[in-house]
Parts: sequence; structure tokens; C-alpha cells
Amino acid sequence: MNSFWALSPLLLVVLAALVVLLLEVFLKKETKDYLAYLSSLFLAGCGIILMIFWDKNYSYFDGNFLLDNLALVFSLLLTLATILVILISIKYISLQGANYGEYYALLLFALSGMLIMVSSQSLLIIFLGLEILSISSYSLAGLRRENPESSEAAIKYFLLGSFATAFLVYGLALMYGSTHSLEISSIIRFLTTGTHLNLMLLVGLGLIIIGFAFKIALVPFHMWTPDVYQGSPTPVTAFFSVGPKVVGFAVLLRIFHFYWETAFHTQTLMTALWVISVLTMVVGNLIALRQTNVKRILAYSSIAHAGYLLIALIAQDPTSLIFYLAVYLFMNIGAFTAVTSLGRKGKEYVELNDYSGIGFKYPWIGATFAVFLFSLAGFPPTGGFLAKFFVFASAVRKGFTPLVIIAVIASLISVFYYLRIIVTMYMKEPSPSMQILTRNPVLFSVLFLCLYGVLQLGIYPGNVLGFIRQAVAAMPLL
Amino acid sequence: MAYTLFFLLSIVCIGSIIGMIATKNQVYNAYLLVLAFASMGGLFALLQAPFIAAVQIIIYAGAILVLFIFVIMMINLRQGLPPEKKKWTYYFSGGIAAVLAGELILSLKGTFSIEPSAPMENFGSPTRIGRLLFTEYLYPFEITSVLILAAIVGAIVLVKKREKK
Repeated sequence: MNSFWALSPLLLVVLAALVVLLLEVFLKKETKDYLAYLSSLFLAGCGIILMIFWDKNYSYFDGNFLLDNLALVFSLLLTLATILVILISIKYISLQGANYGEYYALLLFALSGMLIMVSSQSLLIIFLGLEILSISSYSLAGLRRENPESSEAAIKYFLLGSFATAFLVYGLALMYGSTHSLEISSIIRFLTTGTHLNLMLLVGLGLIIIGFAFKIALVPFHMWTPDVYQGSPTPVTAFFSVGPKVVGFAVLLRIFHFYWETAFHTQTLMTALWVISVLTMVVGNLIALRQTNVKRILAYSSIAHAGYLLIALIAQDPTSLIFYLAVYLFMNIGAFTAVTSLGRKGKEYVELNDYSGIGFKYPWIGATFAVFLFSLAGFPPTGGFLAKFFVFASAVRKGFTPLVIIAVIASLISVFYYLRIIVTMYMKEPSPSMQILTRNPVLFSVLFLCLYGVLQLGIYPGNVLGFIRQAVAAMPLL
Repeated sequence: MAYTLFFLLSIVCIGSIIGMIATKNQVYNAYLLVLAFASMGGLFALLQAPFIAAVQIIIYAGAILVLFIFVIMMINLRQGLPPEKKKWTYYFSGGIAAVLAGELILSLKGTFSIEPSAPMENFGSPTRIGRLLFTEYLYPFEITSVLILAAIVGAIVLVKKREKK
């Protein structure tokens, strides 16, 4: 086996982007849908190869490229998320004036950046992957060029994202200066063997965590989230709410997996993460109560979910972290798919009032959206309940009971705004002026696929949990 | 010879930076900055770092400054912005300058005590950097090409011509 074969999933994604860019020139506007199907096919191939790589543990370029089972689980999740996002975009982008073939190419580039990030131990590579992801995201946010909100989202995301990158790079420089290495394992090893407190290294680590906290929208680094989520094209919002969050937690997991084993300065960092987690849950859920735009509600809900995910990181439980991310993928993409479906040419329905009576007017969209909202709120028998249950249970076992109590109160608060959407959908009179395009079979199949995912993970999570446990058990030791 | 060149380049560099701050015309500002960057490139060459010297001139003096000049020409400000006379900005920038000067003196004090050592053979030569790029850093180097491609595609899709209705 050579490195080309091991790199083939990544190369396939980049190749798909190049093919899309090339074909874009020759295709007419009406036939651009084929680009979406073509890129989904490429991604399906990428997913199959990733599954073949299970338990192979390829490692090339001095460990700069590492396909262990953990990387494979994350890569599969991200590939699946991108396929779903591509499929729900097909009708949407032509209705909302963003029908450029480059749309799919940028999504594929973003995916390639994320695949690079999750399959590396070197912070330099992770940084480059993050830049590929971010640069593609900035343009994706601004793709509805006629819409000022979309341009605002792009500019805000670009400025604050560059700011976060600056933090990250500064942190990397300090780390390299003090350890002469950017490998996560050797940095943490340096941290433990040092006789005295290495301030430069700790500041570097802190700056790197701040950089990632921006990307996964932890309070107080969350300010960009609602505006960017509101202005971006809705399928892109679905992508933003899942993709960067999954990779951000993947990288933090790789860093903290080594850090836990050292038990060195753990207390300070744990306290910091504890405070950030509480702030993220409380602020996210409280501000969501006052929002009337559904995309903004879901934006604050995704901030709050980052807080719950952080609990899994603090409780040192990678299995429930990854399981939560898998459930989060299905329920969040599902919810945004429902929002995406509510639109027609040049018009999108995103205000809470627009949702009056949808449950009866469009029963399938209303019912599935309600299930996703129940799952986000954490009701059984959906996946959202089990995910929260696993995280909270392991946190209690590790002795973080006060944190769990705050988390439970925060999720009780969150029930209010999730139920408010459901109440609007089912208990108000539909407005006659609202009309949407219902002939969109691909979008509906994604909706039902997400429904299946949420229920499968909620009722019978055994298979998926088994895979995740295997991946976690195979994680490298320091 | 090296000393003469060093002082000549340093004087040109510092002089053009001071001139850049003093003049109000943006085009002159940009040209003086080019001069400063170019003489800094010369300083790097004197320190036997030919690669950094070339990069300094190509990227800073070339690409970035050309971009500045394009922007200045596009915006076309004749008079320049009216200077804001706020007292606190003077104190603030004065304070920061003092801190930086102190830092410089402290670091100079540190370097004078160290015996100068000759750099490694071929240190910073284009050959060595090229070899590193294509061996040890091959993977990040290749990833960078994807990054640049994504940036180009992203920029073009945001500014390309609107299709006719």
C-alpha cells in the first residue's frame, strides 16, 4: 500500500471539486443539478473507501497524515453531512439566486479541509485544513449576492474568522517556540516533562483553544454565529452548524485525549472549560428565548449544544462526545432541511409567524420538523435524549454533578423555544398567502433519512455505539 | 564594503519610513513604502539570506504594494483624509512607541553578550528550503495548493459578472 491509496478519499473529494469546476463551464443553467448528483456520487465513493480503511491505521508523512479509526469515524460523519447538504441545496440555490456550479465545488473544498483536519496529529496540518474550510465558508456565506444580509454574513464571518485565525497562529508560534514541535503528542509530552511551569506553552495552548472556540461558537466567542447563520443560504447554514463543530471537537478531542493522561495543570484548564461550558449553555439558551427568526433560534440552539458537547469533553468521555455529534448531525441537518423546504422563488419563510399552521398545511414537513425539534430539546425516544443522557451520566460519574444540574436546567429552558415553534406550527391558523414549492423529492428523501437517523440512534443505538467504542479504544496513547 | 552597504541601506530604509509617515499624499506613501521594503530586502541579502531577500522584494515590494497602489488609484483620494487631531491618540501611540523602544533596548542588551556564531552551512538558501519543501514538508506544501485554489474560486464566484435575466 502506498500513500496515494491512503490519500484516495481526500484526493477523490478534491478531484470531485475540480470536475465540478470544469463541467460548470459547459452546463446550461437548467442542467446544473447534475453537478450535485455527480458530487454526491464522488462523495459516496469516498465514504466507501473510508469504510474499507477501517482498522487499517494508515500513517504517512511522519504521522502528518494519520487515518486511525477515530479519523475514519469523523471523516464518515463529515462526508455524510456534506452529501446531505449538497442534496438539499439542489432546488434551493436556483430558487434563491445562488445557482453557481462553484457552490458545490466550494462545499467539496470545505469538506477536503475538514478531512485533512481530522486525519492529522500535527497542528500545522490542522491549521492548513482549517484555513481551507474557513476560506471556502466565507464565500459560501455570501453566495446570495443580491441579498444584503448574505453579504453581511460573509463580511462578518470573514473578519471575525480571520481574527480567530490570528489567535490560532499566534498560539502555534508560541508552542513551536517553546517545544520545537507542532505534533500534539510531543507538545503534551513536553508539557509534562518540564520541571517548571512553562508559561509560554500554556499561553500558546490557551490561544489555540480560543481559536477553536471561535469556530465551534463557544460563549464568549459566539457573537458571529446568529448573524452568519441568518444571512447565509439555509443549506450552507446547515453545513456551518454541523461541519466546523464536528471538526472543532475532533481536534479538541485529540488535544485533550493526551492532556487528560498527564493530569498536569489539569485543574486550571478544567475550571476554564467548566466556566465556558456553563456560559455557553446558559447564554445560548436564554438569548434564544427572545428570537423570532427561526434561523436565529436554531443558531442559538447550536451554541447551546456546543456547551453540552463541551461537558462530554470535560467528563473525558470520547464515546458519548462522538455519539452526541452523530445525533446532532442528523437532528440539526434535519431541522435546517425543514427550514430550507419552506420557500419559493425569491422568497424564504424564516420568521416564526410564517410557520403558523404549517403542521396542517404541509403535514410531512411539519411532523418531521417537530420530531427534530423534540430531539434537539432532548425528548425520548429520539436520539437527542440518549445523547444528552450519555453525556450527563458520564459527567455525574466523573463527579461533575453541579455542571450537570446547570445543564439540565439549561435544557429545560430550551424546551420553551423549541416548543414555541411546534405550537406555532400546530395551534395557529395558517396564513393563506404562504405558498411553497413542494415538488422536491430529493429534499424530502433527505428529510426522511434524517428522521430515520434520529429515531435509529434514539431507539437502537447499539451498532453505532459499537463502532464508536472501537474507534475510541484504538486511540493512540501518549 | 559590507558596512558601507549596511549603513546606506539602513539609512534609506529608516528615511523612507519616516518620509512615509510625514507625507500626506497616499501615492507617495506607497512608493516610499516600496523603497523601505526593497532596502530591507537588501539588508536580508547582506545577512546571507538570499531566499528571504528575494521573497521580501517579490511579495512585499511587488505584490502587496501593487495592490495598495491599485486600491489608492481606485478610491482616488486627492487630499487624503482630514487628519483627526485627538489628544489621547498622541499619548496612546507615544506610550506604545516607548514600550516598543524599551523592548528593543532589552533585546539588544541580550544579543551583545552572545558571541556571534556562524549560521549553518547553506542555512536559508533556496536549495535547502526547496529540498525541505519537497521532502519533510511535502504534505503541507501540497495542501497549500488546495487552499489557494479554494481562495481563488471563492473570490471569483463572489465578484463574477451577473448573468443576464
